Amino acid sequence: MIRSARFTRRGRILLAVVIGLLLASPMLYMVSGSLMSNSQLSVQPPQVLPSSLHFGNYAAAFSGMTQVIQLRSFLNSVIFTVGVVGLQWLLCISGGLVVAKMQFRARKVIIAMFGVSLFIPILTTLIPTFIVTYELKMVNTYPGLILPIAAQTAFGTLLFRQYISQLPEELFDAARIDGATWWTIFRRLVVPLSKPATAAYVAISVLTAWNMYLWPLVAAEGGSLQVLTQTLALVGTTSQGEVTPQNVIFASVVIVTLPMILVFIAVQKAFMRGLSGSGVE
Amino acid sequence: MKTETDGHETAGSPGEPAAAVPNRGSSRPNKLGAGKTSAVPSTDIDRRRARKPSPRSGSDRLAGLTLLGPNLTLFSVFVLVPIVGGLLLSFTTWDITNGLPKWVGLANYRRMFADPLVWQAVLTTLKFIVFGVVPTVFIALGLAMLINVRFRFVGAVRSLYLIPAAMSFAASAVVWRYIFLDGPGFGVLDYVISRFGITPPDWLASQTWALPALDIITVWLSLPAATVLYLAALQRIPDSLIEAAALDGAGPFRRARYIIWPGVRYMTVLVAIVALLSFTNGSFDLVNILTKGDPLYATQTLIYYIFVTGFGYGFFGYAAALSVLQVALIGGILLVLWALSKLTQR
Repeated sequence: MIRSARFTRRGRILLAVVIGLLLASPMLYMVSGSLMSNSQLSVQPPQVLPSSLHFGNYAAAFSGMTQVIQLRSFLNSVIFTVGVVGLQWLLCISGGLVVAKMQFRARKVIIAMFGVSLFIPILTTLIPTFIVTYELKMVNTYPGLILPIAAQTAFGTLLFRQYISQLPEELFDAARIDGATWWTIFRRLVVPLSKPATAAYVAISVLTAWNMYLWPLVAAEGGSLQVLTQTLALVGTTSQGEVTPQNVIFASVVIVTLPMILVFIAVQKAFMRGLSGSGVE
Repeated sequence: MKTETDGHETAGSPGEPAAAVPNRGSSRPNKLGAGKTSAVPSTDIDRRRARKPSPRSGSDRLAGLTLLGPNLTLFSVFVLVPIVGGLLLSFTTWDITNGLPKWVGLANYRRMFADPLVWQAVLTTLKFIVFGVVPTVFIALGLAMLINVRFRFVGAVRSLYLIPAAMSFAASAVVWRYIFLDGPGFGVLDYVISRFGITPPDWLASQTWALPALDIITVWLSLPAATVLYLAALQRIPDSLIEAAALDGAGPFRRARYIIWPGVRYMTVLVAIVALLSFTNGSFDLVNILTKGDPLYATQTLIYYIFVTGFGYGFFGYAAALSVLQVALIGGILLVLWALSKLTQR
């Protein structure tokens, strides 16, 4: 009995590792391929490991005839992500405080409004959102790229409301008795105490913003505001993809994904907590 | 900050002598100096402008407005106005570069019902979602059960399961395009399949297999979030319950059916909703990058059709009407999910 239990435990762990490798294999293939020579990458049967490391593929992704990644797009992605996440965080945590701790008549209406809008993703209101942005003369500008996405505050506001309403009431009462204004409470109490919620929120929204494709595609048709997902989309379509060598394309995908992998490793716990609303051990 | 916080806690606790408050109060700068009356009787009112926590005072209202106002303003302009505006727009025709929208009543909706491409797109979207979300739910539960075990490197192994979440649809599209590449001696997947003696299909170029191929990519991208959600639910099921069942002779499948499935059922709705949103995204990103709705409209999802109608042909009014249909479609799916969760609760 005990021996069979130990065997099934080992077998289970082995199975977990094998399936994990299988699930990660498209990414492992991408990383491995990005370091191969192009002839090794297209040989049959497919090779698992590069015979020698071609780091030149990464340089080729940035320059010359094979250039895929423009520094400008990289910068645009950073500006877009930092802008969206920073602004949205500020809007959500301050708004979350108000709907969590202040009593006023419209409170329930506002909470319900945020809740309902969660189920109408921006994708489905793409046309009117674009028209609003167009009428505000914001198409092909950074504000037009950032504001409509930063304005999707429903999820974040509800997340912070949930978290802040769990903070002990006495804390707030005491601060008020001490004469603290709501602004002071916000800055010195809510922001520092909400660090766990902030970490979870930032983890999810950084990934979402960096990986967003559709909105930048319509809000920044011109080349100068292009973000990295658009760059990749170009090599993903057949016509463009056949000009650039496959190993350079793979290196480009790694370059674009690497910041998110680093973010992901740094905040894996927060990411899991943010998704599940509780501690996953 | 830590000690300050502790200070607040003691000050606020009931039964605390009022005399304990002034020292702390006086050391705190009062930014607005807004307090009119002191909450604590004292002889030193000027130095301790403590306020009663009355939510209706003017400065509170101002603070509430400044804290929530920017959020509500942006939300109104870029979320509420588009929702209401989109509805109105669907009763008009509008070439936005030229003049004002023209009211046409129900014409767009009549056109929608007569447009065979619309119904094909709806069907394609439903197929894409059903054949993607259902496998995601079951596979994610299986994966979560598999990694819900403790061993030394469990963190590293779990990372393998979660890391695809770092990839965008665009990045995945590029890599999977090479995995799916057709023709003898090209794509990795075709190589593996032909090793088993099966003739691989023409993935993205095939009318039958293009949509399933996009489903495979989206399932792959949706699994990490779904697995984490299930893992959280699984960890709330006491181990003793599962062990007891095992001792009673219940095998892994019976345990899954009678203990684990009921234990994580509440999470299934959330997993399905999160997956649904992911598939809604995928139904545009992947289609636009990999297939453009081809071959022969086999992968033209409703969102892609809306995009083409609006930004390709410039029929913004008609595209707005199609967007209303898209919202109704998602709403309908959510309703079905809700009904299913109610039905299976017994």
